[in-house]
Amino acid sequence: MEYQRIRYGEPFQIRRRLGDLFRDIVRIKGVDYERGKGFIVRDYYALANLNKILIRMGLILTPMVECAICHRSVDCEKCNFTDVCLKDVSICLCDECLSSEDVVSRYLSVSRQSLDRYRKSTS
Amino acid sequence: MNWTEKYRPKTLSEVIGNEDSKEKLVRWLVNWRSSNKYGALLTGPPGTGKTATVYALARDFGYHVIELNASDYRTAEKIMERLGFIAYGNTLETYITGKPRRILIFFDEIDGIDPKEDRGGLDAVIKIASKKSVPVIASANFIDPVKHKALIDNFEVIEYRRLTPKQIYVIIRRISELEGLDIDNEVLLEISTRSRGDARLAINMLYAVSVGGDINVVSNPLENMPLDMLLRRISSSSSQLEIKTLLDSNSNHWEDVLYTYFDIISRSPVMKLERRVELLEHLSILDVILGRIKKERAFYLMKYFTAILSWLVYQSNRWGAVYDGRIPEYRLYVFVLNRDVRAELDELLSGYRGRLHESRRKFIFDTVFVASLTNPQYENLLKWVAKIYGLEAAALKRVKQYGISKN
Repeated sequence: MEYQRIRYGEPFQIRRRLGDLFRDIVRIKGVDYERGKGFIVRDYYALANLNKILIRMGLILTPMVECAICHRSVDCEKCNFTDVCLKDVSICLCDECLSSEDVVSRYLSVSRQSLDRYRKSTS
Repeated sequence: MNWTEKYRPKTLSEVIGNEDSKEKLVRWLVNWRSSNKYGALLTGPPGTGKTATVYALARDFGYHVIELNASDYRTAEKIMERLGFIAYGNTLETYITGKPRRILIFFDEIDGIDPKEDRGGLDAVIKIASKKSVPVIASANFIDPVKHKALIDNFEVIEYRRLTPKQIYVIIRRISELEGLDIDNEVLLEISTRSRGDARLAINMLYAVSVGGDINVVSNPLENMPLDMLLRRISSSSSQLEIKTLLDSNSNHWEDVLYTYFDIISRSPVMKLERRVELLEHLSILDVILGRIKKERAFYLMKYFTAILSWLVYQSNRWGAVYDGRIPEYRLYVFVLNRDVRAELDELLSGYRGRLHESRRKFIFDTVFVASLTNPQYENLLKWVAKIYGLEAAALKRVKQYGISKN
């Protein structure tokens, strides 16, 4: 199975010859096609529906996932939970942070900081 | 105290997962008066933190939450009766102190309101939100784009997704640390894997493990049991509380339980006549109550219904009623949960009923029964009929061997 990373709302090309499936794909709610640019996936549910079609061709699209604590890129393919995870989120945890002793306190601390920052910017 | 309640996040930063949805909700709440949407609608599967987010948000922003469960308040009349005064800014506290209290209205499980059957329930929610006197947030497990179109058009829809196993791990590890549990990390990882992105289920599994229980018991929840299994469980239970818990978790089978117990009690060979009469009298009252609740859409009364029904089942069990796997004929068709069997029955009904000029009932109870014995094609149907009529497998084989036909 091949994995391809994408960003929500940004155009990308699917690395497969789609043929008749093109019509099925653009009918999915939340999936658009812009001529010359490629497909755009708007949300998580659209991605899950798109993957239902692409998985038959040996391709799975995964969103760029970022670690909630260290903000580094998370590799879904190498994750121990890859078989049981829906892989439909953009924020998760990397293996290093997950295995650290103080993962809980670090997660809560980062979450508090980012929400404070967000509240200040919106108020 | 239940761990899901005990460890409910106190602040937004304690809500783990769905970070982008949390930010969307904060953005909406900060600008809710000027927003072109009347309210916020949180949608997503159970155990993803919708309710937890609302309470944490309210605490962070200094709101007092008034929660209405849509299962209890469905019609416009009931909703306006409960909330109309708030929507128009009239509260006793405002009258006495002269200062309005910051109130947030939260409609939980709003998908429980049917736009057609619940007489303007959804319109009332939208009407209250449209006054913009208080912020209104609703939550739903599933939103039908057609049925709930008005809600989608007028509310800011914020999607909640299942948590990843790693996020679940952080939640249960936090609880494990706070409780000072000595649980192996492998077990925590196993719970994270098995909980299927449902934080509530994961916490319950952790609790089960902490008291020496088995993860498997909790990972097979009580909800949505097949009817046969539910009947076996409640008929073999000697605790009214357990029966009530089972009934509460399987609301789709209440009516079937009522009718099956009518059948069980009336056929019971060991129960004394006066006891049988007493129980059947109670059953008939329950039947009337159920009918009225449904007619008047007064579903908040269901808790009394299940309390009385669980007592009745408990008494029946004590007085010797036994569920022997027999399903009353008049509930026969709805009892068949197996899709293959249903497909076979439909095939038979469409193919032969018209040709034989028989009523649907006669065809199902008489002809199908015999046909299933003679036609090896309908193997599943044969098993089903055997189960319904309580026949021994050997007897069925014998009948099949001699090839009994309708004529």
